[in-house]
Amino acid sequence: MNHYGNPTIDSVSDAQDSICRHAKYSLGKAWRDLSSRDLFTAVALSVRDQMVDRFLETQERYQQEDPKRLYYLSIEFLIGQSLGSNLHNLRVRELYRQALCNLGADLKTIEESETDAALGNGGLGRLAACFLDSLATLEMPGYGYGINYEYGLFKQEIDNGYQREKPDNWLAQGTPWEIARPDEACLVPIYGRIEHGVDRKGVYNPMWMDWKVLIGIPYDMLIPGYGGRTVTFLRLYSARASRDFDMQIFNDGDYFKAVEQKISSETISKVLYPADAVVAGQELRLVQEYFLVACAVRDIVRRFQQTHGSFREFAAKVAIQLNDTHPALTVAELMRTLVDEKDLPWEEAWEITQASLGYTNHTLVPEALEKWPVPLLEAVLPRHLQIIHEINRRFLEQVAVAYPEDRERLKRVSLIEETAPKQVRMANLAIVGSHSINGVSAIHTGLIETSLVPDFYQLWPERFNNKTNGITQRRWLLQANPALADLIRTTIGDGWITDLPRLRALEKWATNADFQTEFRRIKRSNKERLAKVIRETSQVKADPDSLFDMQVKRIHAYKRQLLNVMHIIHEYLSLIEDNRQPAVPRTYVFAGKAAPGYWWAKQIIKLIHNVARVINNDSRASDWIKVAFIPDYRVSLAENIIPAADLSEQISTAGKEASGTSNMKFALNGALTIGTLDGANIEILEEVGEENIFIFGLRVDEVQALREKRLYRPYDEYHRNPLVKRVVEAFRSNLFCPREPDLFAWIYQNILDENDEHFHLADLCAYLETQEKTAETFNNTVAWTTKAILNMARIGKFSSDRTVAEYARAIWNIKKV
Amino acid sequence: MVIAVDKMGDVAIAELPVEELDASNAGELKRDIAPLLEAHTKLVIDLRRLRFVDSSGLGAFISCLRKLNAKGGDLKLCGMQKPVRAVFELVRMHRIFDIYATREEAVRAFQGEKNAGVE
Repeated sequence: MNHYGNPTIDSVSDAQDSICRHAKYSLGKAWRDLSSRDLFTAVALSVRDQMVDRFLETQERYQQEDPKRLYYLSIEFLIGQSLGSNLHNLRVRELYRQALCNLGADLKTIEESETDAALGNGGLGRLAACFLDSLATLEMPGYGYGINYEYGLFKQEIDNGYQREKPDNWLAQGTPWEIARPDEACLVPIYGRIEHGVDRKGVYNPMWMDWKVLIGIPYDMLIPGYGGRTVTFLRLYSARASRDFDMQIFNDGDYFKAVEQKISSETISKVLYPADAVVAGQELRLVQEYFLVACAVRDIVRRFQQTHGSFREFAAKVAIQLNDTHPALTVAELMRTLVDEKDLPWEEAWEITQASLGYTNHTLVPEALEKWPVPLLEAVLPRHLQIIHEINRRFLEQVAVAYPEDRERLKRVSLIEETAPKQVRMANLAIVGSHSINGVSAIHTGLIETSLVPDFYQLWPERFNNKTNGITQRRWLLQANPALADLIRTTIGDGWITDLPRLRALEKWATNADFQTEFRRIKRSNKERLAKVIRETSQVKADPDSLFDMQVKRIHAYKRQLLNVMHIIHEYLSLIEDNRQPAVPRTYVFAGKAAPGYWWAKQIIKLIHNVARVINNDSRASDWIKVAFIPDYRVSLAENIIPAADLSEQISTAGKEASGTSNMKFALNGALTIGTLDGANIEILEEVGEENIFIFGLRVDEVQALREKRLYRPYDEYHRNPLVKRVVEAFRSNLFCPREPDLFAWIYQNILDENDEHFHLADLCAYLETQEKTAETFNNTVAWTTKAILNMARIGKFSSDRTVAEYARAIWNIKKV
Repeated sequence: MVIAVDKMGDVAIAELPVEELDASNAGELKRDIAPLLEAHTKLVIDLRRLRFVDSSGLGAFISCLRKLNAKGGDLKLCGMQKPVRAVFELVRMHRIFDIYATREEAVRAFQGEKNAGVE
């Protein structure tokens, strides 16, 4: 027993006892009656016990030392499955595996049965999840704050090549990981109007009247760091109506209206918006953003006040990071709290707000920055709009002093865009209210400074900084690729688990024949496993000896899955029309979801399926080309796909991808990258060396110049190169849609007549040539393996441990406790 | 709603008899407290039993305050529990009411105002 009265788990029999105890007393079932779901729950609850103990110890430590704390606010946390990573981080996985084996169960099967917590769309949400793992592993006092969506990102099904969305009711059977904290529920006022009166001293006093009320119920998901000394939490809020029914309506006899209101309140945390970019104009989304912010700020202030009297200390004890603009209302909410509730003078409140907040930008194009119509904001948050106007008034005064007579500049930096209707610019609000503004890769940060918000950079250059994204090696290597992790461990030790740059020690093994053989054996075994998944999900027979060429990520025009398809079509037409066999048999693997309202992306999914159907059924191509689309891409599927990759496609139009993180995950698992000089690819190139990566295509400045000078003419590319022409013509012909005439003619039109916004043809020749090189290199097994090992060895920079340590040092000023 | 009333000098003290004041009973409060507002100019409402108030409840208090102010009187509040006080602060209503910990303090404040006036 430990001092919390819990049996500690030091042995296999302890683990067995704990699992059996939960099966019996938490689930109330006899062992023989347990379903597979029950078994998962019993194991998870047993693991959770260990985390609760460490969590309480962590809290005690914090209470004694009163460190500065970080609160990471994000509208998405893409957690995925938790059992495996919790077992790894607590370092008890082997013990539980053995315990379950003794009980006649298989841990791997139980781990795989867990439903993904898909509370995010992609990169931004997964970054937040990786950060929590790193914060806990680095023993930093940091917490995540998000929304407990009842429905996560939709499940993707494929019907005749078309994406169909199915609801992801991940909480249908409950989750053992969440601990409800109804005693820490908070009240959130919303809607209503401002009454402009005076207080008892005759001073202007805007009162928020006729508001509705929401209740935020927190649910804590514990997050253990590696080694388990620090266990932090992700606090997710569910929205509840203030009471079961609005009694007034109920008393008036309108029972259904009362129930409707209750449902409407609870809708707020019902579903994650499935767009990977900005969600425009949706009132519910604005309410979600406010709900997160209001609950988080209330909780943060409550925690601060538990141990501190004066708000002068607030910024010395609290750092709040805004993950993109979705939580940007924090600026107004914190000001409202300090000025309205805590009676601080505006100037002092503003100083505290700015000193506490940091803002991470994830956007590259000005048009994609989040904005909310003023009338909508006024209806939903009348007091906050007033505060935003006041922040803007004071800010513009400051700008006018710095740049007298520059009225255009005032218009550009204003928090309010003077359109009809007027709009609140959330990025400007976040920038003005924060002491730090960062991008997520070196090139992205440069573009923020020069292209996205140059006026702000000129005003406050010292506030802008770069924090290149990272990934946690605990999930993306130790857990996802256990065989490779074991090989590395036996070769250079396990220091890399908490210090990824130590993988450098593998450099000297890169050409070692035995190490190479073992590396290839593991890669092949991972490919065999994935081939099975491909067969089961896509009915495509993939040869594990072929080059596994993978593009797995959101389907989006700028990510250029279409460019990848163009290469496939080129290879196929060369084979069947020119009788030119590819240099290497290749399996092209795609996975990714399209936003439900994004027609272009959904058509690309259909295109991939049609191309796959034609090629996979053509006996002339069967030894050379296979195309597979694995449905329902999610974190747990990524953990299967990434370790099996030979080649990682990172081929976005230069200047469009802020960072990307799958590029890092693939390289960490010994895949080579074919990519453009975009996002973090540039830094990966710097780390792994140009001889170990396949770079092609236009650079950011070249794309910008072509765009600005209107020099890009896709027809020139089309006429210049017959191979390019043939590929483009394939979309106009019905080669890939014999039973659906003209289905893909829009691509021909989009590329040639609508000026190919994403520069596919500008980069196609370079891409085809570079793909030739990948094939040639792959045929030289030793050379390829050497490069793959060197990618792994030199990818250490891209650990989220490094990223989080940089944020902690330069922005949050938090320390290990 | 049965509102118990005490008197200390010329100050009436009404004890709010509910734990929750919202859309379901704010109208009732307004109706049942009206006679007190007619009869008195100095009123203290003791909120010691109140645990939850919404915007309708706050609206009822404002209505009382305005009626008393209109005839030169005043309303003071006392006995607020922390969550109720938090709601007042949330919407800046703590700035338009005189709020005291106890009814005695509230009454003393009325008397102090009178004395101040005499001086």
